[in-house]
Amino acid sequence: MISPAFLSPDRCEPSVRLVSPLERALTGIDPGRVRDRSHVGKLEVRGDVASLEPAPGDRFHRIGPRHGLYVHEGPTAELRDSLTARGYAVIDQTGAYAAFEVHGADVLRRLTDLDLEALPAAGLVARVRGIVTRADGGAFVVYVAQEHGHYACEAVLDALEGLGR
Amino acid sequence: MSRLPIQPGELLDRDTVVRFSFQGRSIEAFAGDTFGSALYASGRTLLSRSFKYHRPRGILCCRGHCANCMMTVDGTPNVRVCETPVRDGAVVEGQNVIGSLDRDLFSVVDKVGGPFTPVGFYYRTMIRPRRLWPLYERFLRNAAGLGKVPERDPHNRYDVEHREARVLVVGGGRAGREAAAEHAVAGPGVVLVDELPELGGLELPGVEVLAPARAIGVWEGGLVPVEHGNLLLRYRAQHLVVATGTIDQPLVFPGNDLVGVMLPGAVERLVERYAVKPGERAVVIAADDAADRARAALDQAGIEIVSTVRLTDGRTPAVAANGRKGQVRSVTVDGRTVDCDLVVMSGGRQPAYSLLAMAGAKVEYDAARGVLVPAAIPDGISATGSVTGAVGEQAVPAASYTAARSGKCFVCVCEDVTTKDVKRAVAEGFDSIELAKRYTTVTMGPCQGRYCHVQSIRLYAQETGADEAAVGATTARPPWTPVSMGLLAGRHLEPMKRSSLHHRHEESGASLIWAGAWKRPYAYGDVEQEVRAVHEDLGVIDVSTLGKLLVQGPDAAEFLERLYPNRFGDMKPGRIRYGVLTTDAGRIMDDGTVARLAEDSYYVTTTSTGADAVNGWFEWWNAIWGYDVEIANVTGALAAVNVAGPRAREALSALTDAPVSNDAISYLDAKELAVAGVTCLVLRIGFVGELGYELHCPSPAAEHLWDAIVSQGAVPFGLEPQRVLRLEKAHVIVGQDTDSESNLISAGMPWIAKLDKDDWVGKRATQLVQAAGVRECLVGFEMENGKLPAEGGQVVENGRPAGRVTSARRSAVLGKNIGLAWVRSEAAEEGTRIQIRVDGRPEPATVRHGAFYDPEGTRLRS
Repeated sequence: MISPAFLSPDRCEPSVRLVSPLERALTGIDPGRVRDRSHVGKLEVRGDVASLEPAPGDRFHRIGPRHGLYVHEGPTAELRDSLTARGYAVIDQTGAYAAFEVHGADVLRRLTDLDLEALPAAGLVARVRGIVTRADGGAFVVYVAQEHGHYACEAVLDALEGLGR
Repeated sequence: MSRLPIQPGELLDRDTVVRFSFQGRSIEAFAGDTFGSALYASGRTLLSRSFKYHRPRGILCCRGHCANCMMTVDGTPNVRVCETPVRDGAVVEGQNVIGSLDRDLFSVVDKVGGPFTPVGFYYRTMIRPRRLWPLYERFLRNAAGLGKVPERDPHNRYDVEHREARVLVVGGGRAGREAAAEHAVAGPGVVLVDELPELGGLELPGVEVLAPARAIGVWEGGLVPVEHGNLLLRYRAQHLVVATGTIDQPLVFPGNDLVGVMLPGAVERLVERYAVKPGERAVVIAADDAADRARAALDQAGIEIVSTVRLTDGRTPAVAANGRKGQVRSVTVDGRTVDCDLVVMSGGRQPAYSLLAMAGAKVEYDAARGVLVPAAIPDGISATGSVTGAVGEQAVPAASYTAARSGKCFVCVCEDVTTKDVKRAVAEGFDSIELAKRYTTVTMGPCQGRYCHVQSIRLYAQETGADEAAVGATTARPPWTPVSMGLLAGRHLEPMKRSSLHHRHEESGASLIWAGAWKRPYAYGDVEQEVRAVHEDLGVIDVSTLGKLLVQGPDAAEFLERLYPNRFGDMKPGRIRYGVLTTDAGRIMDDGTVARLAEDSYYVTTTSTGADAVNGWFEWWNAIWGYDVEIANVTGALAAVNVAGPRAREALSALTDAPVSNDAISYLDAKELAVAGVTCLVLRIGFVGELGYELHCPSPAAEHLWDAIVSQGAVPFGLEPQRVLRLEKAHVIVGQDTDSESNLISAGMPWIAKLDKDDWVGKRATQLVQAAGVRECLVGFEMENGKLPAEGGQVVENGRPAGRVTSARRSAVLGKNIGLAWVRSEAAEEGTRIQIRVDGRPEPATVRHGAFYDPEGTRLRS
């Protein structure tokens, strides 16, 4: 499977301002509370993903027997080519997911019944489908469909308010 | 009533005074008091009015189980004040009264309403005339019930938290604490919950103690929601230990609900925990060792025990409590009357087995001790302590101890169900305890059967002649404890899908409406102007909500050929076809366009609401057929806008270096272009009937592309103008103009069904439909007199329904009211005159086939 060019934000000209689905929701919000991670490249990779090792700095979240989400900072053009050359089916889903980073298992527990000791995991987060992963420093990164991103951020901010943070 | 000197083990901090108001009067309390204990200490014993008869009620259990102390605190109704800690400045009020707690106008029901309000009276006496039911209902709701939810006051915040535990212990008595400590030795993850606040400070090594906290029930998968203040903790535990102990049982005799008639535990808690003297002269009536248990507390408080009636010898004395203004004043036993102001009654102790029953345990009746005990406890759950049935020796109380003189004798104080009510239900033929429960509502009040279940079974057995084991227990269902609706609802989270252009729409002043799970622009201002802009100049609409799928692989063409009724294998790369998906039964399930990007690559669009279903449909069939095909849902990855109008080509040309002439991008072409620097897939299609291009681009670039198009003078238009424009073309909206019964033949799309193709999903069914003919058809219509029917309105023949309108709009460009409707096939011919009901009157219309506007499609192809 080859990802068509019109799927990839990094194929747009540099003058094009790419807008995060969380931009408005997180305007004026301290990134220490919720940090927008939507800009990272997100590739849906299919095939024999059991043996797929991400490059240093990248992350690969296996979310099915032959299915995973490869997360890469910056443009993904070279990575797409490289993975495709290795026989994987690759779809650029960078624009499909909103992603945010949040600290504290207590916040996540107010949003999802996923087992936070067994991440990454996919399930309902604030009543919409999402993928919850662990990040450095005890943080969690949550991926939801970009169309649900604004709403999910509102839910996270509301949960933080409930916890007095 | 008075405050006692410092008691050993009391919960009070006498150095901290707390004041709250009750009916305008300031009440002084100590930190550690509950509202109920503080009111009792101040001499206030009448705390509530009963559900139906509005009888005075005071503390019965002092455990937060019954309805007797429910009051409104700071606007929150139904607060059980006997267990709610005092807080400074709180406002406490009575509820369910007209007037005041002391002078409740509705208490007249107790005085004279008895003969008129037997059990289930509203099922019989308030059903005619039917039109007055709303009035009756309002009256009944005002007359009976509990507190009222304030409509204007801000509501409390309630949160839900999902938690996991290795072991969850419910009940913090000795057995529960021991079980928790034992499990903690094996490792972390042990949680103990108890309903009483005094365990709040308990420290058990390796155990998280939550108190006050109540397990609401046990659901499938071991889910145990726990109420902890305004937080609902949804526990999933690997092992559940139920150590909920026993519940003091009341006795059934006239006057058993008077203020001052209490259970032994209530006396103990008032004296020992809150240093409140609940009376001066007490009578103890007990079927177990409660007299001995209570004696210590009564002695400690300096209360004189003027009489003790032991029910352990099998005797059934006639007992009656007598009162004045709702307060107990004396007790008469077998004709002998003793003055008192406190009655301690005990019908033994009943294991609190409900959580075990909810989890699947059986419930058996122990005839020797007159209790229901749990048995056959499921795996993953254990019970410990007295909940298992270890209640010691106790006599089996009689069903009732009714004196010769009359007087209400309550089986269920929460719902005001008397012995007479239960007897009447049996006499009326409610011959099962489950039916009688529903008819009388016994066990359905706030205590959830804690203080009435066993009593009702005994009475039922007495009346039917069956034994208690044969009568059986009613089903235990959550919630086991009263729980506020706010806690169950949690936070108000309503998922909303926003397109990548949502904020542009808001900034442009669009009025947004729900469209499935999406919020979409209805219009940006004047609908007619937006329609005109598309017809005469240039418009742009956000269609990002369309489902978008990639189908790739060597077998992609064959795969689509088998899914769709029409052909896709013969399409050249760069071309587009309309496609309708049918189910196995030949019913229309979705529609959209299919663009061939390369020999082995297709781009499929679906309806906005159909994306997930179509994706699942594709995956499901591919799993069966096993084609070498990959299917990817890229709905969210891409935004899409439709640029439409006579100036569409000019605008596109200004934004790209690529040729966009009619030859370069002709009707139904698909091309990848850079538009305003944004990589796009351009689909030349025309849902709205004018020259148009659908631009699909990466979602993050959508605002840039939108701004560029608007800068060319494009007028944003919303869903409503789009509905008008597509109706002018008679384009069908699947799900609005079709339903789950619609097929290709009846919906006027036989041309799309290629019956000469090899098999496709729905082919056989379509052949059968074609052979049998259809009874109704989807057709266009024009109103003849300018009336506009409602969508969903009736097509009528001779005044009888003969079809339905699915879409109807005013078309300014045509100067007509037009629409789509299902009509009988005999009335589906072009030019047939039909009648459509508008505002209750049949109005004439004419059937039309094909597009109302630009029927040749000249403008689309221009």
